[in-house]
Amino acid sequence: MSDSYLLIDDVKKEFQREGDTPLRVIDGLTVHVENGALLSILGPSGCGKSTLLNIINGLDDVTSGRIVINGTEIGVKSRSAVKIGVIFQEPRLLNWRTVRDNVRLPLDEMKIPRAEANERVDRYLDLVGLAEFGDYYPLRLSGGMRQRVSLARGLAIEPDLLLADEPFSALDEITARKLRLELVRIWQATGRTIVFVTHNIREAVFLSTRMLVVTARPCTTHLDLPIDIPHPRLPEDDRLFEIEKQVTRDFMRMEEASA
Amino acid sequence: MSAERAAKGGAQVDSDRLTGVIGSDAPLPNVAAGPPASPKDVVAAVRASRRTFQGTRRRVMSLVALGALWFVASLFFTDSVLPGPASVFAALWGNLQEGDTYVHLYKTILRVVAGMAIAVIVGLIIGLIMGLSKFGEEFLDSWVMVAFTVPSVVYGILAILWFGLNDFAAIIAIGVTAIPAVAINIWQGVKAIDISLVHMGKAFHLSRASILRKVVVPQLVPYILAALRYALGTAWKIATVVELIGLSSGVGYQLNYWFGLFNMTQVLAWTIAFTIVLLAIEFFILKPVEKWLTRWRPSVQG
Repeated sequence: MSDSYLLIDDVKKEFQREGDTPLRVIDGLTVHVENGALLSILGPSGCGKSTLLNIINGLDDVTSGRIVINGTEIGVKSRSAVKIGVIFQEPRLLNWRTVRDNVRLPLDEMKIPRAEANERVDRYLDLVGLAEFGDYYPLRLSGGMRQRVSLARGLAIEPDLLLADEPFSALDEITARKLRLELVRIWQATGRTIVFVTHNIREAVFLSTRMLVVTARPCTTHLDLPIDIPHPRLPEDDRLFEIEKQVTRDFMRMEEASA
Repeated sequence: MSAERAAKGGAQVDSDRLTGVIGSDAPLPNVAAGPPASPKDVVAAVRASRRTFQGTRRRVMSLVALGALWFVASLFFTDSVLPGPASVFAALWGNLQEGDTYVHLYKTILRVVAGMAIAVIVGLIIGLIMGLSKFGEEFLDSWVMVAFTVPSVVYGILAILWFGLNDFAAIIAIGVTAIPAVAINIWQGVKAIDISLVHMGKAFHLSRASILRKVVVPQLVPYILAALRYALGTAWKIATVVELIGLSSGVGYQLNYWFGLFNMTQVLAWTIAFTIVLLAIEFFILKPVEKWLTRWRPSVQG
């Protein structure tokens, strides 16, 4: 499977503990992700998903195994070789900067020429529906709008991979629902590969082209499920409900088995 | 320009109007952004300018009330105890005609500014060390507290004993007096830094320098401003004390001189002169800078 865009190859991660055996967080996780996929990762709390995202983002090294993005092996040292956009659970905006300057922040760091950076900022703010709010300060915006700014910031660097760490879980359901539709639209428009971590089974089923259910610590693959229903999907599609029910049942069985 | 900003601030963004159209192809409604100004904008701008005017009026009212109280009180006392506003301001006006007055004011301001500079630089460094390192905190915190408790007159006396009757002693005394308060402010500021924003910076691979400059320092700004304001108030008090004890220039020297002659009118005239200078610094430098630096924060006052 050399055509994988993102390859997580037998990744193990341990944290050393003083006077104790090392804590194994990820235990031999292998995933091949095709280009342009929307992969969601679903797992119990504290199962090492954040650690995995940190490793993919080059902020932490694997203990063994490797992660390859578009042919480049990722590590703390090679981290600038691949561009990765991130969206967090909270918007994490700099409140003292305008919306526009928030989206610019990573672009300035990448030394992108001023004119191009301005053009990109405007383009991505337009894409997330905030074209008119560039000069606003974040605290004047609603929670949903701030999360859109955060999405624009993650996209504006034109990343090789977009990492989303439960980005809609802190929003009310109606807003989250609108943003999910929005994310699918933007994903289709940009063709980026997205790794989307969530606790929400319905969200995972609705969004993803592929779903990875992982076990509690140490984290391994429990279920690797392609979802072949074409986008754009309707949230009330019965086929989605069927998958959701099936995954939920399976998920609960896994939880009970580990308890 | 401020009216336009206020107008934008006044017209709170209605998120529902925006999110309401997501998923459909309807164009976004023009939500109170940029020109052309909607009537809502204009109303908000008018309201904002009215608020500023109201603020000035309230301040003037409180000044007038104090003046009236002073005038009434002065009727019951002789001039050597409590002279009335008229004679004090006449003396102040007379002083302002003399070049010497400005030399004394200038001397004191110079000492205050130099002392504050020392306090802010040293206090910032100590505060950062205490905030960023556990060792630094445990090593320094009791000393900062001790230094904070020592009466400022003691620093004045020690500085004069050690360095003599000169500007240097005054500046050191002022600086040392104000350092602990600045350090404590910055220390608390560093502790209040939102670490999740630092993680955001790391996730986008910002350099350490960028994270410090763009993410950490801006979060310290309100604490630095509070420290500056406190330092200014303390610095001028200790400056007059040191001048009063042992210098032959400055506002403190003048206060001592007129106190020796039991001339209460001049004592008050000099006090008012320097108070006006401090208010000018507050309203023409500190407040505008603060307003500009915290323009992103919606006001909590109704």
